[in-house]
Amino acid sequence: MSKKGVFSTSSLVAMAVGTALYAAFNVFFNILQLPGTQLVSLRPSVAIPMFFGYVFGPVVGFVSGFLGNIISDAISWGGFWWNWDVGNGLLGLIPGLAYYFIPRDSIFKRRGYIACAVLAVVAAVVGMGFAAYTDYIFGYGISTIEEATYALFLPAAITDAVNGAILTPILVAAYAAAVKGRARRL
Amino acid sequence: MSTRFIRYIEGESVIHRLDPRSKLTFVFFMVLCLTLAYKLLLVIPLFAISVIYYAMAKLPWNKTKNTWKFILIIVLVLSLLNYFTVALVYGQGSLLEKLTSPRAIASAITPVLKLLSLALVTATLVFTTPPNLYAPALGQMGFPYKAAYVIQLALRYVPEFTAELGRTLEAQMARGFRPRGGKNPLARLLAIVPLVVPVTISASLSIYDIADAMELRGFGEERCHTWYRELRLSRGDKLLLAVSYSLGLLYVALFLSKLA
Repeated sequence: MSKKGVFSTSSLVAMAVGTALYAAFNVFFNILQLPGTQLVSLRPSVAIPMFFGYVFGPVVGFVSGFLGNIISDAISWGGFWWNWDVGNGLLGLIPGLAYYFIPRDSIFKRRGYIACAVLAVVAAVVGMGFAAYTDYIFGYGISTIEEATYALFLPAAITDAVNGAILTPILVAAYAAAVKGRARRL
Repeated sequence: MSTRFIRYIEGESVIHRLDPRSKLTFVFFMVLCLTLAYKLLLVIPLFAISVIYYAMAKLPWNKTKNTWKFILIIVLVLSLLNYFTVALVYGQGSLLEKLTSPRAIASAITPVLKLLSLALVTATLVFTTPPNLYAPALGQMGFPYKAAYVIQLALRYVPEFTAELGRTLEAQMARGFRPRGGKNPLARLLAIVPLVVPVTISASLSIYDIADAMELRGFGEERCHTWYRELRLSRGDKLLLAVSYSLGLLYVALFLSKLA
C-alpha cells in the first residue's frame, strides 16, 4: 500500500499519467482537427492539469502542466520555451490549492465544484499572466507591455479560463461518479 | 514507441554523439545567459553560438521543415508587432523618423533574436537526443530517481494515450457522435466532452493499478537506483560543459556589473 505523500508511488504515477494525457491531448488536437471545433476551443486540454491538480494535489498538477507542455511542444514542433511551461504548470498548481482549504470529503460536492471552477479561472489568469509577462520582462520575442497584454495575455488567459472553468468541473464530476464505491480511490 | 512521437532525428553528427547531460547543461546556461543579456550586443554572440550549435547537428531539411515553418511564422509576427508598437507608440518625430530610428530597430530585433536562440537550442536538444536517454541523464546528473522516473513513465504513456484518444473517437463516431457545434463557442467546447471525459477518467482510474504494480515490483523501496544505460563524458562533452559554464559566468558577471 502506498503511503500518502507528495512523492508516494501513486503521486508519481499520477504525475506521469497527467503529463502523458496533457501531452497526448495537445498533440491530438494539433494533428487531428475535429470538424467544427477548430480555433475557438484552442486548448480544451488545459482542463487536464487543472483536474489533476484539483484531485491529486498541487505538485501533481504542476508537474502535469509543466512536463506535459514541454513534451507536447517537443512533439509538435521540436523545441520548448521554459516560461510557458512554468505558466502551464501554474495552471495545474493553483486548482491544487483546493487541497488545503476544502475538506477532502467535500471536494466532490457542489461547494467543491464551484471552488474548482473559480480556481480554474484564477489559474488561467495567473498562469498565462506569468508566461506572458515573463516574455516581456526577459524580452523573449516581445519588448513592450502592451504587446504582452493584448497579443499574449488576454487571448491565452480568456480562452484558458473559459475552457478550464467549464471542462474541469465536468471532469471532476465524472471522476467522482467513476470512483464512487471504490475504496481509497480518492 | 515514444521515439516515433518525440521528434528525434537519427544522425551521426558531433552533437548527436554528445552526452545528454552536457546538452542539458548547455541548454540551462543558454537560457540563463539569454535571460541576463540586456542589450543587442550581448544577444548577438549567443544567437551566433546557437546557430553554430544547430548547424553542427547537421539536421536534414525535410525533417525539420515543420519546425522552421512554425518558428518563422512566430518570428515574422512578433518582429512586425514589436517593430510597429515600439516605433509608433513610443517613437518621437515624424513617421519616417519613428520607423527608421536605430533605437526602434534595435529594440525590435533584440527580443526576436532571443526567442530564436532559445528555439534553436531547445530544438537541437530535442532533435539530437533519443527520448529514452532523458531519464537516465537526469538520474545520473543527481536528480532524485523518482523525478527522473516520472519523465520516463510519461514518455512511455504519451503514445498509449494518443492511440486511446483515436480509438475513443472512432468508437464514439460509430455510435453516431459527430463533433459539430456550429458557431457557438460554448457548444463547440461541450462537443468535445464525449471524447475528453472517457479517456481522462479511465486513465486516472488506472493510476492506482499502475502504482500497485510498480510497488509489487519493489519500486520506492531502495533509496538509490541504478540506470541500465550508463553515460560517460567524452572530450567533446567536457568542452561543451566548459563553454557552458564560462558563458554562464561571463553573463552573470556582466549583469552584476551593470547592476552595480
